[in-house]
Amino acid sequence: MKSFVGELKRHALTAISYMLPLVVASGLLIAIGNLMGGQVISDLDALTIPSALTSLGVFGMGLLPSFIAGYISYSIADRPGIAPGFLMGQIASFLGAGFLGGMIGGYIVGYVALGIKKYLKVPKWAQALMPMMIIPTLASIIAGLIMYFVVGTPIVWATDGLTNFITGLDQSSKVLYGFVIGALGCIDFGGPISKVPNLICDGLLMEGILEPEAIKVLAAMVPPLGITFSLVLSKIINKRIYTKTEVENIKVAFPMGLCMISEGVIPIAMNDLLRTVICTATGCGVTGAVSFSLGVGSPVPSGGIFVIPAMTAPVAAVIALLAGTAVTGFMLVFIKKRKTDADDIEIEEVEEQLDLSGIKF
Amino acid sequence: MNIVVVAACTSGIAHTYIAKEKLIRAAESLGHTIHVETQGTIGTEDELSMEQIKLADVAIFAIDIAITGTERFKGKKVITVPTNVCVKSPKQLIQKIEEELNK
Repeated sequence: MKSFVGELKRHALTAISYMLPLVVASGLLIAIGNLMGGQVISDLDALTIPSALTSLGVFGMGLLPSFIAGYISYSIADRPGIAPGFLMGQIASFLGAGFLGGMIGGYIVGYVALGIKKYLKVPKWAQALMPMMIIPTLASIIAGLIMYFVVGTPIVWATDGLTNFITGLDQSSKVLYGFVIGALGCIDFGGPISKVPNLICDGLLMEGILEPEAIKVLAAMVPPLGITFSLVLSKIINKRIYTKTEVENIKVAFPMGLCMISEGVIPIAMNDLLRTVICTATGCGVTGAVSFSLGVGSPVPSGGIFVIPAMTAPVAAVIALLAGTAVTGFMLVFIKKRKTDADDIEIEEVEEQLDLSGIKF
Repeated sequence: MNIVVVAACTSGIAHTYIAKEKLIRAAESLGHTIHVETQGTIGTEDELSMEQIKLADVAIFAIDIAITGTERFKGKKVITVPTNVCVKSPKQLIQKIEEELNK
């Protein structure tokens, strides 16, 4: 059972890995276009360069459910899964079931395609037709009918329910949920845990709720910026908390962080995992709480500081970001141990004890 | 031992390459030969040659996501682990594999 859940997660992560570049490119197109005064156009006569960029970005966002469904299905059933998966994404868009619909559709069609591949025995002459014609067509028919007639309506309900829940939150619960979304969203610095809340934020964005997405974007920048700030602070108060190697890593992590890539801090965090995570998660949480309660929304799912001008309340966004960064920075300086020159010598890495008995060949 | 590895993580920019570095360092300090192919967002880098795969005693898939080109490893001993195992305990992983192979 546990391995099955792990499998489902791996399929979702595969889809996200294919989807990320699309989200980033589309998000930035919308942001750049909007900043130059562009809007979505349907009439070629009204075409300007800013509007072209915005429109293209919106097209890209429209592809999201298909990307999710297509690549989940690909991960399950390999190449024959891609085409029917994209089709399920189209159904999800049509039903207004967006992101969640795309995910569920992808899983259904992926396993249908895999089942056909495994259990449908065809004569030798028809084998060449399997990946090209039989699997995609049959899987699309079966999963498509399930999507339209069985799961479509419940998914729409679930999506609407979540939407209503988030929009109906009062101020104090906004602080709480903001903190939770922010803290969870960067607890493992862009790793598999943080993908889950981030995925929910992306899903809500597609339903037109912009606030969680702002939390995601802002909080993701907090760990690298907070660590950089703690380095500056530690120099000011003359308490050395980073080794030379770590300082070099921070110099790399900072620009990455500005672009919302928090992975840069992993090498630094790994050396002192517990303390660092406590500090960064608290900082991310603070950013989330401030951002949500001040009502910052982001129409763009990715892009770091460059999309702050495109947010609904850019000043509040900056305040939220700085608050989290300051919290992380001060906490790190306070609780991290002092380093000496002796720490610069690469010590034998202590490895965590792991249970590898479950691994099989 | 001759080891070949394919590494791939979700965002394909960090864990993939950290896992690669850690495995190479661990394997070399234990006296093994290792070749690591990375399938990041940028695409496949350091692609394993058929020769390297043929000579390998074991293949490690350090992956969080689906990878391409698994058919190259048909008939090989393959062990699949999440990237974070290689990040946290590369040496233990390799020693464990060695034990299993010598059984």
